[in-house]
This record gives sequence, C-alpha cells and structure tokens, in this order.
Amino acid sequence: MKAFDPVALATPFFILTVILEIVLARFGKLKATYETSDTAVSLAMGLVSSAAGLLTAGASFAAAMWIYQHRAFSIPITAIWAWVVVFLLEDMTYYWFHRLSHERRFWWAAHVNHHSSQHYNLSTALRQTWTGGVAGTWALWLPLSFLGFPPAMVAIQKGVSLVYQYWIHTEAIRRLPKPIEAVFNTPSHHRVHHARNPRYLDRNYAGILIIWDRMFGTFQAELDAEACRYGLVHNLGTFNILRVAFHEWIGMAQDIVRQPRYVLGWLFGPPGWSPDGSRVTSARLRAEWLARQTKPQEALTHEAGVG
Amino acid sequence: MTTAYLIQFAVSAVAVALIVGLAAWATHARVSLALDESTARALLAEEFPGLDIDAIWLGTDGKGAIAKSGDRAFVVGRTGLGYVVRQVPWVRAMIAGVKDGRLRISLSDVAAPSATIAIAVWPPREFTT
Ligand SMILES: [Zn+2]
Ligand SMILES: [Zn+2]
Repeated sequence: MKAFDPVALATPFFILTVILEIVLARFGKLKATYETSDTAVSLAMGLVSSAAGLLTAGASFAAAMWIYQHRAFSIPITAIWAWVVVFLLEDMTYYWFHRLSHERRFWWAAHVNHHSSQHYNLSTALRQTWTGGVAGTWALWLPLSFLGFPPAMVAIQKGVSLVYQYWIHTEAIRRLPKPIEAVFNTPSHHRVHHARNPRYLDRNYAGILIIWDRMFGTFQAELDAEACRYGLVHNLGTFNILRVAFHEWIGMAQDIVRQPRYVLGWLFGPPGWSPDGSRVTSARLRAEWLARQTKPQEALTHEAGVG
Repeated sequence: MTTAYLIQFAVSAVAVALIVGLAAWATHARVSLALDESTARALLAEEFPGLDIDAIWLGTDGKGAIAKSGDRAFVVGRTGLGYVVRQVPWVRAMIAGVKDGRLRISLSDVAAPSATIAIAVWPPREFTT
C-alpha cells in the first residue's frame, strides 16, 4: 500500500531502546520504572495493534484514494514545500484527532488504553489501540487527500509522527533546551499529557509540535512542584489484555443498554458523563480542583479586605 | 508483503517475550510501599476529593483497604505495583464474602472486576447484630 513505512523501519530501534532503558534503569543510570505485567500488556497491545491496523488500513486507504481522485489541487510528492505543508497540516490534524479522542467517549474508548499504564516509559509508547480503525478517526485525515496531497504522502507523514512520538515517552529526559520545549512536543510536555493530576488532565494533545496546544489553549507546562501521577482518573484493576483493550467499549455498551434514552450522551458526551451527574468528567475534576485551590486564597483576600 | 509482514510480526513477538523477561529481571526486587491509613486516605482523596470517611479498615498485608462514607463503600485494591480505587454501595460491600482470610468484593466494573483485601472478619463487628 505504501512503499516506505516509517513505523516498520523504526521497529528495531523501538526494541533496542526499550531494552536499553530497562537495563540502564536497572543499574541506576537513568530514571525509568518498569513492571513486568505492565510491560507485557503495553508491548502486546502494540504488537496486536499493528495487525489490527492492517484490517482497516485497506478501507481507509481506499477512501483516501477515492477522495484524492476528486481533489481540489494537484500537489507534487517531490516538492519540498509540499512536505513542509503536509508536515504542518498533518500535525494539526493529529492535534484535533487527539483532542477529539479525549473529549468524546466514543473515540476515548479507542484511545483510553494508551493512557491506562500507571507507569511512563518507552514501552508505554507502544501501548496502542486495537480499535482505532473501527472508531473511524482516520476520516479526519481525508481532507488532506481532498486538498491534493497524495495518500501515500499523508500515510508517510502519519508514520513519521508516530515514530516521533515514541521517544518522548520517557522519564529519563527531564527538560530540553528552552527553544525546543517552546516549539516541539517533548518528554516533559507529554508526561503532562499522561498524568491524572487534575491540573494536567486533558492537556498537551500535540503530536510533533506543541504550538497547537499553545494556540488552541490546551497547553500546560510540567511543574517541578507537582510530579505527574500517571494513568487514568480511575485506573485499571486488571492486567487482562482483553479488558485493557475493550473495557471502555463494554462499559459504554452496558450504559446504553441500561439507559437507552441517553444513547447520544453515552456515546458522544465527554468521558465521565452521566445523565444524573453521578460520575465526573475531566472538566468537572479540573473545575473542582481549581475551586479548591482558589478558595483559601479568596478567604484570605476577603479576611484581609475586612480586616 | 504478507510473508514479510508475518516475519516481522514473528520477530517482534520474540522481541516482546525477550523484553518482558528482561523487565522481570530488572524489577525483580521492587516492592511497593505497604498501604497504611494515611496512604489509603490520600489515595481516596485523590479520586474522591472532600470525601467524608466514617470508618476505614486496612488489609493486614498492607495491600488494600475499604472505607465507609455514608451509604457508599470505597475500596482501595492493589494491582501490580499500583493501587486502584472504586466505589460500590455499602450494602453490597456488607454482603461480600471472606475466603481464606481475604475479603473479596465485586466492583461491577469491566476495568476492575473485583478487589481482594486481607480482612478476615467481615462485615465489621459494629455492623453485625
Ligand atoms: Zn492521549
Ligand atoms: Zn503517549
């Protein structure tokens, strides 16, 4: 389907660097926490994800080819400017895909497992979805084919983005030089994305460039005073890989069967939405946390004002 | 394409097995901290801020806890090196069974089906007549 596959090419590099991170951490040379069952789940998720991706790759590529036949412009795959533009547009598309994957439960069901580890190491990067293809988010990249970027070009750029995002899943790199942290998604920025602290929830959706988060108001810097606690708001109580892969889909189906009249809310409401508000969304967690932070301050200000 | 992919998949599967073995070796001596009352309360507060706890019972092996807050039970269970918190109706927690000195509570959650806490006597005496 595509002659050049960055992910396939990078796989030996993934394997070697995970081994290196484990060994160096074992001898105290760098910071990384590995747990056997967690690592097994992450790697098995990655392995099966690559196979599952093949099942829908044909359909999504065919859709892109069809759209491309009805394209608005013809963009040459050999032009450097075209690669610069596709790099930017693909990365912005990734931002919105990723944001959608966190803000609406239907797509969260496919993305949640990437966030389900309580650790953050290179193996976490490989904890990839099995159900992304059926969730249909590949459709978000179709406008690029309509614009006239050859589908192979878009596919290569998607692969480049995925490979880029691998190395940032580490605690071994604390901060990079300021100009890099300002423009690129880095280990520090992505640690925030994987954290469950209310301050860090649903922040830093970036793929390669962090500029989209800065532009669209979802950026949060990692604070030295607040260490990241990794995982989900309500963490998984199992290493059963089928539960890891499908728990949110099953939970969503159970909710719909129990209360079918709220089907749209269950499907497309934010994760944690419930008709009676008995569950909590990220937005509410953040708001409640913010209220707790400002309350003592307000009380102090009030007292000072009165006094 | 198919043969090449199958070879790549098989090699990756072998690499996965190798890395998991390596992770087992590297994390061999790691033990997570025992769960005392203040840690259990902190874990509960992380997920349920402002929770008013009426009473809390700790597992004797330091790997779990159960708290009562009004008509809800809040369960802290251990999964690997991490902890998982869930809430269930208190009445359901009350009827949970003890087997081999361990309390097993169904959490009715696909993502966390049950929790086992080293509590030999359950329900607590003050709740039995
Ligand atoms: Zn995410
Ligand atoms: Zn990630």
